[in-house]
Amino acid sequence: MSQTVNELGIAVVTGTLQGAVYALVALGIVLVYRASGVFNFAQAEFGTTGLFAAYAAKELWGWGYPAALAFGVAAAVTMGLLTERLVIHPLRNAPRVTLLVATAGVALTAIGVQFWQFNETLVMTMPKIDDGFFLVPPFDAPVTVQQLITFGVLIAASVGLALFFRSPSGLAIQAAQQEPTAAELVGISVRRVSMLTWAIAALLGGLAGILAGPNTTFSAAFLSFGGGAALLPGFMAAVLAGMRSMPGAVLGGLSVGVVEQLGTLTIVSENIPGARAAVLFVFLLAVLLVAPTGVFVRKAALA
Amino acid sequence: MSVLEVRDLSIHFGGIKALQGVDVRAGEWEIVGIIGPNGAGKTTLFNCITGFYTPTKGQVVYRGRDVSTLPVHKRTALGMGRTFQNVGLVKNTTVAENLATAQHLQVQYATASGILGSAGSFAEERRVAERGELILHLLELTDVARERVADLPYGVLKRVEIAAVLATDPELLLLDEPGSGMGPEEAHALGDTLLRLRKEFGLTIVMIDHHVPLVTRVSDYVYCLNFGEVLAQGSPDVVRRHPEVVRAYLGEDPTDAPVEEVAAR
Amino acid sequence: MSTTGHVPRHAAPGQPGQPQQPSDTQVLPVVDDTTTLPPVSPATDAPPPVTEEPAFRPGHVGRAVRAAIWLVLAWAVLAMPTNLLSPFEIGVADIDIASRAVIFAIGGLSLHVLLGYCGQISLGHQAFVGIGAFTSAYLVTDLGLSFWVAIGVASLLGAVQAVLLGMVSLRVTGLYFALVTLAYGAFAESTLFGITPLTGGEGGKPAPRPVGFESAEHYYYLCLGFLVLVLWLDWRLTRSKAGRAMAALRENPRVASAYGIDVRAFTLVAFAVSGVFAGIAGALTAHHDEIIVKSSFDFRLALTFVLMTVVGGLRNRVGVVIGSAFFAILEEGAFVALVEGAIGGLGFTPTFFDSALGLPAEFVGLVVGPLLLLLTLTLYPGGIGQQIAPVRQWLTGGRFDRHAGQVREVEVTDVRA
Repeated sequence: MSQTVNELGIAVVTGTLQGAVYALVALGIVLVYRASGVFNFAQAEFGTTGLFAAYAAKELWGWGYPAALAFGVAAAVTMGLLTERLVIHPLRNAPRVTLLVATAGVALTAIGVQFWQFNETLVMTMPKIDDGFFLVPPFDAPVTVQQLITFGVLIAASVGLALFFRSPSGLAIQAAQQEPTAAELVGISVRRVSMLTWAIAALLGGLAGILAGPNTTFSAAFLSFGGGAALLPGFMAAVLAGMRSMPGAVLGGLSVGVVEQLGTLTIVSENIPGARAAVLFVFLLAVLLVAPTGVFVRKAALA
Repeated sequence: MSVLEVRDLSIHFGGIKALQGVDVRAGEWEIVGIIGPNGAGKTTLFNCITGFYTPTKGQVVYRGRDVSTLPVHKRTALGMGRTFQNVGLVKNTTVAENLATAQHLQVQYATASGILGSAGSFAEERRVAERGELILHLLELTDVARERVADLPYGVLKRVEIAAVLATDPELLLLDEPGSGMGPEEAHALGDTLLRLRKEFGLTIVMIDHHVPLVTRVSDYVYCLNFGEVLAQGSPDVVRRHPEVVRAYLGEDPTDAPVEEVAAR
Repeated sequence: MSTTGHVPRHAAPGQPGQPQQPSDTQVLPVVDDTTTLPPVSPATDAPPPVTEEPAFRPGHVGRAVRAAIWLVLAWAVLAMPTNLLSPFEIGVADIDIASRAVIFAIGGLSLHVLLGYCGQISLGHQAFVGIGAFTSAYLVTDLGLSFWVAIGVASLLGAVQAVLLGMVSLRVTGLYFALVTLAYGAFAESTLFGITPLTGGEGGKPAPRPVGFESAEHYYYLCLGFLVLVLWLDWRLTRSKAGRAMAALRENPRVASAYGIDVRAFTLVAFAVSGVFAGIAGALTAHHDEIIVKSSFDFRLALTFVLMTVVGGLRNRVGVVIGSAFFAILEEGAFVALVEGAIGGLGFTPTFFDSALGLPAEFVGLVVGPLLLLLTLTLYPGGIGQQIAPVRQWLTGGRFDRHAGQVREVEVTDVRA
C-alpha cells in the first residue's frame, strides 16, 4: 500500500508539472472560444508546428538554440494568423459546427505536412533548455528543470494575459467579444481583434509544444493524438473552466494533469489496458454529468 | 375555469427585474391584448408563459394545471401555440415543409416506423401534406406553398407563421406582434382574420401588439405593461384612455394633448 | 400646358449625333394642378403571381441518352466490379477495394446523419465502427452465432453507444459531443480494444465470412445490399417526422420546441440511427478483412470519416457516397496508382508524387484530404454533391442547369424569443 501512496505523491507532482502544458493549451482554447464560440481543434497543432519548426532550425539547419526557439514561436504565430485569415475569417458567419470542422481541417493539414516533411525521421528528439533534474522529497518525485521552466512560463503567461486584458488592446478584445457591433462603432477593428486573438492563442499553443517536446521523443501529430497528446487534456481543462475563465483554465490544466497521472498508478495500469485514456474519458464524463458548466468558474464570468 | 392564468409572476436576470408580480388572465375564447412600450417585458412574459424562461417566482397555470416548470414542447402538446417577433419558422426549407413539421405532434405513426418506411407511415405522410394544404388554403397562402421561407417577404411570413402555429392544433394562441410591419389596411385585415380564426377554431388568443386600433377593435380585455409591471388593465377603451398608459407611451403630461387623439393613433 | 400620362423629361429631341444642350428657348412642360399622373396601385405584400412554367420534359433523344447513361451507371456498379458482362478483368484485390468503398459509403452515411441532419460531429466515429467490427467477430468466432445475428447485434450496440454518449453531452449546449467522442475514440483504441479476450490482442480477431458469401464477388453484393438498406432507412428518415424535426432543431432549436419537438429526444434518435449505420459498417469491415486488428481503428480513420462526409457534401446522399468511395480508393493507394498510371501513360515518370513533390504515396491522402476539406468549407460548401448537382438534375429528367444545387443555406441568427 505504501507503494501506492508513494506513487500517488509522485503522480501529484508530475501531474502538476505536466498540467502546465495542458494549461497553456487550455488558455488558448478558452481565449478563442470566448472570442468566437469556436472549439479550436488546431490548438495543439500550433504547438507541434512550433516544435517542428524549432527542430528544423536547430537540428537540420544548425541554428543556435535561442534562435531556433524564437523561430518556432514565430512559426506557430504565423500558422495562427494564416488560420485566421484563410479559414476563420471567411467562415465567420457559418454555423459553429462548420468552424469546428474547419479547425479540425487546419489541424489535419498541419499533420499532413508534418508527415510529408518529416516522416523519414520517425522519432525525433529535441534538447532541453537545461538538462538538470532532481528528486523531490519525500516521494522522490522526478522533476526536470525543463518542467520547472514550463511552469514558470505558464505563470508568466498568465500574469501577462491578466495585465494584457487590462490594457487598451485587451479591453478592445473583450469589447469585441461581447458586442461586436458596438465595438466597431467606437472604432475597434473587429478584424484586427480577431487576428490578435488567434495570434495570442497560437503563441500559447506554440509555447506548449516547444516546451513539452524536449521531454519526450516525438513524431508527427504527437500533441494532438496518441499517448502524449495535449489536445484532449487541454479541452478538458477548458471544460473545467466552463470554457470562459482564464484562471480556471490554469487550474483546470493542472487538475487534468494530476488526474491523468492517476492512470499511471500501478494498481490502475495493471488492471486496465490503456489506463491513461480510460481515466481521461471517465473524468470527462464525470465532469459533464456533475458540473457541466465548469468547476473553476467565477460567478461573474457566468453572467 | 380560465384557459390561462399567470399568477404573481416575477423574473430576474442578474440585477434586472424584467417582470414583477404580474397577474394576467385569459378566459375561454377571449382575445386578450397586451400593450406597453418597448422594453416593458411583454415578450419576456410570453417566454415565461411558453416555457423559454423559468420564472423566479409565481406560476403559470394552464386550464387549472401548473405548467411553470414544463419544457416548451410539452406546453405545445397541451395546446399552447406561439409566434415570435422575428418570425419563428424554419427558414431553410419550404412553407409546406414548415406546415408538415408543425404537425409533428399530430403525426400518427411512431418515429421508428417512419424510419423503417412502414405502409402506414406513407399514408400518414399524405394525410399530413393534405392537412397542411388545407390550412394554407384557409389563409390564402396556397401560392407560396413550394417557396422557400427565406425567400419570402416579411408580411407573407407573418401569415405563414400563423398557418404554422395553427398546424400545431392549439387551443391557446400567443401572438407576439402579429401586426408589426403592417400598414393600417393590413392590420385591419389581420383583425378580421383573428376574429374568424377564433370563431372557426374555438381559440383563446393573447396578443402583444403596438397597433392600438387593432388591439382595441379585437380584444375583449387589455393589459398594459410597463417596466415589468401591470400598469393598467380593463376593457380596451378604458385602458387606452388611462392617463398612466398615455404617459408611458409618450412620456408627457396627459393634460398637454387631448387623450382621445393621442391614444387613437 | 397640361399633360396626361407620362411626363417627359426632355422637351425636344436633340439632333442625332449632337449632345443635348438645354437652351433658353426650349419650353419645358409645366407641371401644375391640372397635371394628372398615372394611377399608382397601392403596394401590397402579396407575393407576385406565380406563373406556372410548363414542366420541362426531355425529348426523345434526350430520354434515350439519359436511359443509356443510366444503364452504363448501373452496369458500372452492379456488373463491372464482379466481372459480369464485362470486358475488363478485375482482380480479387480490386473487387475487395470496391467492397471497401461500399463499406466506407455506409460509414460516411453514418456520420452524415449526425453532421448533416443534426449539426453534431463525432470525432471518434472509428470507435463505433470498431466496436461493431469486434462485436461481430466475437459473436461469430467465439459464440458461434450466425453472421446475420451478429450484424444485428453490432448495429444495436452501435446505437446504444451513441445514445449513451449523446445523453451525457447533450446536457450542455454546445459541441461537447465532439469532445466526448474524441475522448471515447482514444479510450476505445487503448482500453476497449485492448481487452484481449474480446479483441484478440495483437494477433487480431478472426471474422469468417457468412456462408454463401465467401467469394469476393458475393461479398461485394452483400455490402451493396446493405448499402441499399442504409440508403432506404436514410431516405425514410428525412421524409418522415423525425427528419423534419432534425432539420428544424438543427437550424433553430427554439422554433423546433415551439413546434412541439422534443429537441433532445430527436437528437438522440439521430445518434441512434447513426450508431446503427456505424455498427453495420463495422460488421461488414470485420468480415471483409476476415481478421481485424485494433490498429485498423485509429484516429486517422476518424478524420477520414469527417473528410468523407464534408467533402462529399452535407445533406446530399449521393455526394456522400461518392466522397466516401473516393476516400476509400485514396486510402488503398489505388487513387495514386490510377493517377500515376495515367501520367505514366502520358509519358511522365510513374512515381510522380514521390519524385516531383517528395510525397510518398501513403501520405498523399493525408495531405490531399485536409486540403480538400478546407477548400470545401471555404469555397465550395456543397462539396462533391454540389458539383455533380447539374448532372444529377439532368439525369433525372431535368434541364442541365449549371447553377443547380447551389447551397443557399441561410444563416439564422437566434430567434430572439
